[in-house]
Amino acid sequence: MKDSRIGVYICWCGTNIAKMVDVEKIAEDIGRLENVVIARNYKYMCSDPGQDLIIKDIKEHELDRVVVAACSPRIHELTFRKALENAGLNQYLFEMANIREHVSWVHTDREEATKKAADLVRAALKRVSYHEPLDKLSVAINPATLIVGGGVAGMSAAFRLAEAGKKVYLVEKEADLGGQAARLDLSFPYLNTVSSFLQPLIRKVKEHKNIKVFTGQSISEITGYVGNFKTTTGINGKLEDLEFGHIIVATGLSNYDPSPFKNYGYGRLPDVITSIEFEKMLRSGNIKCSDGKPPRHIAIIHCVGSRNENIHEYCSRTCCATALKYANQLRATFPGAGIYDLYADMRAFSKACEELYTKTSTKDVMFLMFDPERSLPEVKQAGWKDECNMLIDMHEILSGENVEVPADMVILMTAVEAQKDAKDIAHAAGISMCGNHFYIEKHPKLDPVATTTDGVFIVGTCQGPKDIPESITQAWAAAARVLAGISRGTVTVEVTTAVVNEEICCGCQTCISVCPYTAISFNEEKNVSEVNEVLCKGCGTCGSTCPTGAIRSRHFTDMQILSQIEGMLNEGKVKETHKILEEA
Amino acid sequence: MNNRIDTTLKADLKKFGLQSWNDCFHCGNCTALCPLTEDANLFPRNSIRTMQMGLKDKLMSGVDPWLCYYCGECSDTCPRDANPGEVMMTLRRYLTSLYDWTGLSKKFYTSKVWELGAILLLGGMVVLAFALFFPTINPELTADGGVRINSIMPLQWIEWADWTMGIIVAGLLISNLMRMYYKIAFGAGAVRIPLALYFKEAWQLAFHFSTQWKFSKCDGKRYWLWHWLLMSGYTIMFILIMVFLPWFQTEEIFEVWHPQRLLGYYATFGLLFGLTAVIIGRIRKSNAKFKFSHVSDWLFIVMLFLTVLTGILVHFFRIYGMPMATYYLYVAHLAVLVPMIMIEVPFSKWSHLAYRPFAIYFANLRKAAMKYHEKTEISLATT
Amino acid sequence: MANFEPKIVAFLCNWCSYTGADLAGTSRMKYAHNIRIIRVMCSGRVDPTFVLKSLREGADGVLICGCHPGDCHYHEGNYKCLRRYEFIKQYLTEMGIDKKRIRLDWISASEGKQFAELADAMTEQVAELGPCRVRSIMENVT
Repeated sequence: MKDSRIGVYICWCGTNIAKMVDVEKIAEDIGRLENVVIARNYKYMCSDPGQDLIIKDIKEHELDRVVVAACSPRIHELTFRKALENAGLNQYLFEMANIREHVSWVHTDREEATKKAADLVRAALKRVSYHEPLDKLSVAINPATLIVGGGVAGMSAAFRLAEAGKKVYLVEKEADLGGQAARLDLSFPYLNTVSSFLQPLIRKVKEHKNIKVFTGQSISEITGYVGNFKTTTGINGKLEDLEFGHIIVATGLSNYDPSPFKNYGYGRLPDVITSIEFEKMLRSGNIKCSDGKPPRHIAIIHCVGSRNENIHEYCSRTCCATALKYANQLRATFPGAGIYDLYADMRAFSKACEELYTKTSTKDVMFLMFDPERSLPEVKQAGWKDECNMLIDMHEILSGENVEVPADMVILMTAVEAQKDAKDIAHAAGISMCGNHFYIEKHPKLDPVATTTDGVFIVGTCQGPKDIPESITQAWAAAARVLAGISRGTVTVEVTTAVVNEEICCGCQTCISVCPYTAISFNEEKNVSEVNEVLCKGCGTCGSTCPTGAIRSRHFTDMQILSQIEGMLNEGKVKETHKILEEA
Repeated sequence: MNNRIDTTLKADLKKFGLQSWNDCFHCGNCTALCPLTEDANLFPRNSIRTMQMGLKDKLMSGVDPWLCYYCGECSDTCPRDANPGEVMMTLRRYLTSLYDWTGLSKKFYTSKVWELGAILLLGGMVVLAFALFFPTINPELTADGGVRINSIMPLQWIEWADWTMGIIVAGLLISNLMRMYYKIAFGAGAVRIPLALYFKEAWQLAFHFSTQWKFSKCDGKRYWLWHWLLMSGYTIMFILIMVFLPWFQTEEIFEVWHPQRLLGYYATFGLLFGLTAVIIGRIRKSNAKFKFSHVSDWLFIVMLFLTVLTGILVHFFRIYGMPMATYYLYVAHLAVLVPMIMIEVPFSKWSHLAYRPFAIYFANLRKAAMKYHEKTEISLATT
Repeated sequence: MANFEPKIVAFLCNWCSYTGADLAGTSRMKYAHNIRIIRVMCSGRVDPTFVLKSLREGADGVLICGCHPGDCHYHEGNYKCLRRYEFIKQYLTEMGIDKKRIRLDWISASEGKQFAELADAMTEQVAELGPCRVRSIMENVT
């Protein structure tokens, strides 16, 4: 083991750790070991006094390594690294032992817990002597931004960035901008026309000098890293290379096709239509059945494809308010018709939506409730004697009765779903999808528009079902983040990356074959592999593959890990002379 | 059973007193705190739902509206001010009109013209009959100084007229009651009821008919007492007139403490007290049950009140020897009483005297029948 | 064996399984105390020598956890780990070490409960096998 001057700090975390782990004993025992200059235990290491303790000790005792045994490094590793930096020590000369989430909170025997905690501290102790100082890398940021998707979210973000004087490339796969919103007639809850705000937005985006719009094109591959992305897009064979610093993914969503859903008769009965098809009728101003006559009875069925464990478990969020919108529009058009709203729940939660429900309930709309888990309504052809084209059989749970609902037209509130090409965009942009193929944000509360890939943001419905105001809000949030990044000018890149020792490298290129980021290239002249520090993400797969050990994963080297194993399974060597221990 | 949603029903019910139909959003508070609802018959929410969906068949084959005594607690508690109590009242009016096969009940409920017209017609016929056939009264007083009231019309004829009217009214009411029974016993959710149970549960029928015991469970005993006084009052009057007319409508003047007079006074007191209390309540809208007054509600009360009033006046004019006054008030008394009986009992509000106790009877029969079937199944299973 | 408490070294990948173990902690789930966790960025970082070193230093079992197939933060690292795992099992068997002493499992960031159950299962699995005698043999030899 190398000679180091290590400071060890065992945190009580109030009673969170101290209740189950004898922190004082550990500090005492650790203090006796080789290379440990000072070992303390303290109530809250992450607090200002706690950090000041570390800074003071580093300066006074000339420490060159620090170990903190406390909570998970995923919480406070950065905090303590900053403390080291403040004390003038390289922040990578630090290691944390997780004795809270992995010890005090999950075990019940104090003696065993203390033993385990001691093992983990010794492991950290041995490891930290093999840490090397590392410096962060700064790269310049290209001020242009690529926005994939020209719907409401994409256009809103584009406009914000363009107004701030930044260049935007807006790529839309359809022939026109507008996305889903362009297919809508009115919007809830105030029942204003969508085109009244959408058309001006489209015009502003098309005419803005800072926005270059590509319609009828999609993105297949993006290379690079935050600040320096590249892609190629083209119209009619004419290709164009684009370079940009950030990506905003705003690819929106598509709609569930209810044809396979036998209950509802979509495709079989001509007057069963989807909500999108109904919007088309509304926009044309002409609502009529397939026989050309106006409907005497109209039924709206919620949750078609949503909240169904065989299709989509999630709720599509906007259909309930949309159904209320339809009920109002139908009542205005057909004052005497029977309007039936077959719902599983009435989820009218956005601003003014509950008021929309109350308003609708005064308009002679019959609300009928079904249980989506037990029995779904079934649409069937009516008899020739009936006064309607179709009848819907449903088990109505407010009354407990099996009833028949007359209908000349049935509107299905179909689920929204991720785009069919969501996976392709995910791969291109380097982002992940959840089980439903919506994109995953970095953290729903702490970072809702970012992704774990630096420089790539997701906005709008591609992240999950939401309404227009929410999409626009996210778009502006992402635009703000991008502007903040651009205004900094540079971005720091993590350097816990791989590095090749050219003397040991035998040129077998095995590492190149396993790198998922093609961050390793082969230097033909020198016959060795070379790692692009900026492309490398530090996964370490190459490090465990290299037959000679030429390629090292910095901060996760073999020596560091092997010494960690040694530390946790052995008692540790006691030094000849004790230093006096202090308790803070 | 026809279970098709029918949105036109609620429009029809407006005339029966329905205030608003879509306010109820089925929170269930009303049913939760109703003191009379029980697992076998949950109301008022379910009845409101049935009404909202226009399921007429289900409505007719159920008894729930009759099990309600309108304490009004549900209306007080309803977070949407949907007035569930009044909905139940509306349903009772509606069911009354459905049980009636003549169609007159519906006419009387939905048209003021028809109801008033019928009252005036019948009243007018009584006046005309007296004007034509019994225009005079013997002005000579009796030995006690009383009026010779039976000189207007032979007592025997009055008795026959009373019995005829009674038979007609009873016949109509019973025939409607049979329709009610038929719809319930053979409608949706019907259970086969063994014959023995009809006899076993009959005492319940008699008990509820005479005491209205369930009413006392609503909201304290006050309204139950008012109603019981009123009911016992008219019942005594009814028996006195139908069975003991010669003893009751006599020219003799008994002492004040004589049973004939005491019974009469108690009956009058009971009727007056109950009626006055209800009239004041409806004017002041002092309770949820008095908040809404349909025309049929007022007509019943007013006619009964006038009957009692004219009856009191007849009594006093007779005792204090005022023949002409006695004659006119006697005719007036009958001119109010006949339309009231003929319209209210088979076709309008007074029909509840039969429908309610029988509804409770049918509900009990059903419960007993289900228990019986359960026991039979268990015993069959174990053999 | 009745009172034998095995020592198990666990390699958890930062993005999924380590986070899952943290979640088990924040949810206060209780599991066997025999697991000692080492954090790596990706399960693909786990070198077979780490496994051997663990057994050499006295571990009775080694647990490796990675992201579910298809969900690896670095795209394919867990597949590489899977390949190596098959190799390691074979190698151990040839060395006379029971391959049940090593286990590879997938734990996602939201699977705190599953991690706790895995820890218990692994402890039980290794306890049944008794102490691993690699260290004692090596120390007698050297």
